[in-house]
Amino acid sequence: MLKFLKQVGDYAKETAQAAKYIGQGLSVTFDHMRRRPITVQYPYEKLIPSERFRGRIHFEFDKCIACEVCVRVCPINLPVVDWAFDKGTKKKTLKHYSIDFGVCIFCGNCVEYCPTNCLSMTEEYELAAYDRHELNYDNVALGRLPYKVTEDPMVTPLRELGYLPKGVMDPHELPAGSRRAGKLPQEILEELETAEK
Amino acid sequence: MNQGIDLQGSFVQALIDLGIPAGSAKALWLPLPMVLMLIAATVSIFVVVWLERKISAAAQQRIGPEYAGPLGTLQAVADGMKLVFKEDIIPAKSDPLLFTLGPVIVVIPVLLSFLIVPFGQNLVITDIGVGIFLWIALSSIAPIGLLMAGYSSNNKYSLLGGLRAAAQSISYEIPMALAVLAVVMMSNSLSTIDIVQQQSGHGVIGWNIIRQPVGFLIFWIAALAECERLPFDLPEAEEELVAGYQTEYTGMKFGLFYVGSYVNLVLSALLVAILYLGGWDFPIPIEMLANWLGVSETTPWLQIIMASLGVMMTLFKAYLLVFIAILMRWTVPRVRIDQLLDFGWKFLLPVSLVNLLLTAGLKLALPFAFGG
Repeated sequence: MLKFLKQVGDYAKETAQAAKYIGQGLSVTFDHMRRRPITVQYPYEKLIPSERFRGRIHFEFDKCIACEVCVRVCPINLPVVDWAFDKGTKKKTLKHYSIDFGVCIFCGNCVEYCPTNCLSMTEEYELAAYDRHELNYDNVALGRLPYKVTEDPMVTPLRELGYLPKGVMDPHELPAGSRRAGKLPQEILEELETAEK
Repeated sequence: MNQGIDLQGSFVQALIDLGIPAGSAKALWLPLPMVLMLIAATVSIFVVVWLERKISAAAQQRIGPEYAGPLGTLQAVADGMKLVFKEDIIPAKSDPLLFTLGPVIVVIPVLLSFLIVPFGQNLVITDIGVGIFLWIALSSIAPIGLLMAGYSSNNKYSLLGGLRAAAQSISYEIPMALAVLAVVMMSNSLSTIDIVQQQSGHGVIGWNIIRQPVGFLIFWIAALAECERLPFDLPEAEEELVAGYQTEYTGMKFGLFYVGSYVNLVLSALLVAILYLGGWDFPIPIEMLANWLGVSETTPWLQIIMASLGVMMTLFKAYLLVFIAILMRWTVPRVRIDQLLDFGWKFLLPVSLVNLLLTAGLKLALPFAFGG
């Protein structure tokens, strides 16, 4: 009999605990209701990508020496380098270069290792296409520069959270020229250089 | 007891005075409250859909619908219009008759249940003696429709969803009926009017939630399960079953399910308000206050204020419960089917039985407080 009563008591305790946890959960969701929305009204407003953003890759045809380092460092050997050996100059001449962004994972290894810096990251991320073959960019498409968000008259550029002044959470209606919290990288560098001297 | 405003009596009397025979005067009255209730139920869908989307958005730090009408209030209208104009597809090798009948059988009992929902002393379509029992009976028709829809779709997800819906509805009906039974025992009546009447007159203290806290919780949980709201929405759990019994439905047939689920939510909230939160009763006993101030209960302006306050109170309580249901949706994770049935049969059923037994005992022991 005592054992049964203990079982009933334990069960009741567990039930009360479960109810308490559900109550706690409800208070958390209720608390979220008073927080401000963090919505970015996408086609009309866009976030400014950060300086280390890894977007579509830009390629400069004339700088490329067809060394194929990008192919070797690529996790899936993605860049297609079409070159021919020119016996007169005893150098490789590049004929075509292409990267398929439908397969690329934007790891940035090719950009990192390119000896002549002919590859670079852009801020472009709107790569949607109706056909996956359209994502296979040749050297002409790779050479195009994307449109900057800050210069698009149709778009209100918004700063990301890390680029807002201290204590500010809402990127809308920031006063012009307001600085982000903390020091900028170039300022830190300058300070270090002066300290070394 | 003050009878409040008798709209029907005044209307019929006015027509009789105009020279219309009593029978046709009454027949002229009959469709009015029905149409009004249908309109109210339809409008409530728009309100609830808007609330659901806005509250969900707020809980997730989004904005929610914005462009359709002021603050997105017409979003449900826009969605409804889209559904009306969509092609009505009946899948191959399905049973066209059952497929069409399914959503209809789900919706009709829900709308029919508004028959017994009172918004005031005389603001009800019919005050029938078996009121709340009629609602329980009607709500058990819906699972047949769900099963029909699921079985006739010729789709494994639909079939599983339909079976789950039927299992869920049937198992949660029993604790719900037992919880209602405890209330009925205290009010000595099945009529919704009498149930509210028995709670009113003492403000918050008189409401059934004070005397039946366990019954209130059981009823609310079971009502959420009957409405297939989260955490009990597994008949249409999209991660597992695409959309359950709704998978093959498009256009207005899907719209009927949609309408049915939201009207059912409003109906459940209204019934919780009526059974446990004192229906149209104001938290402070107004009648006592009026008597104390020396204003007669039969003063016309007081009656009008009381009637409109009653309607507002009922709606306010119901929408508060809807709000809790929506908040619950973003708080609790979905239960598994075995947990659901375990919870229904092994927890809610015994607890509601004990609750019923306790109520009966208390009714004998303390007849003044428990309606002996």
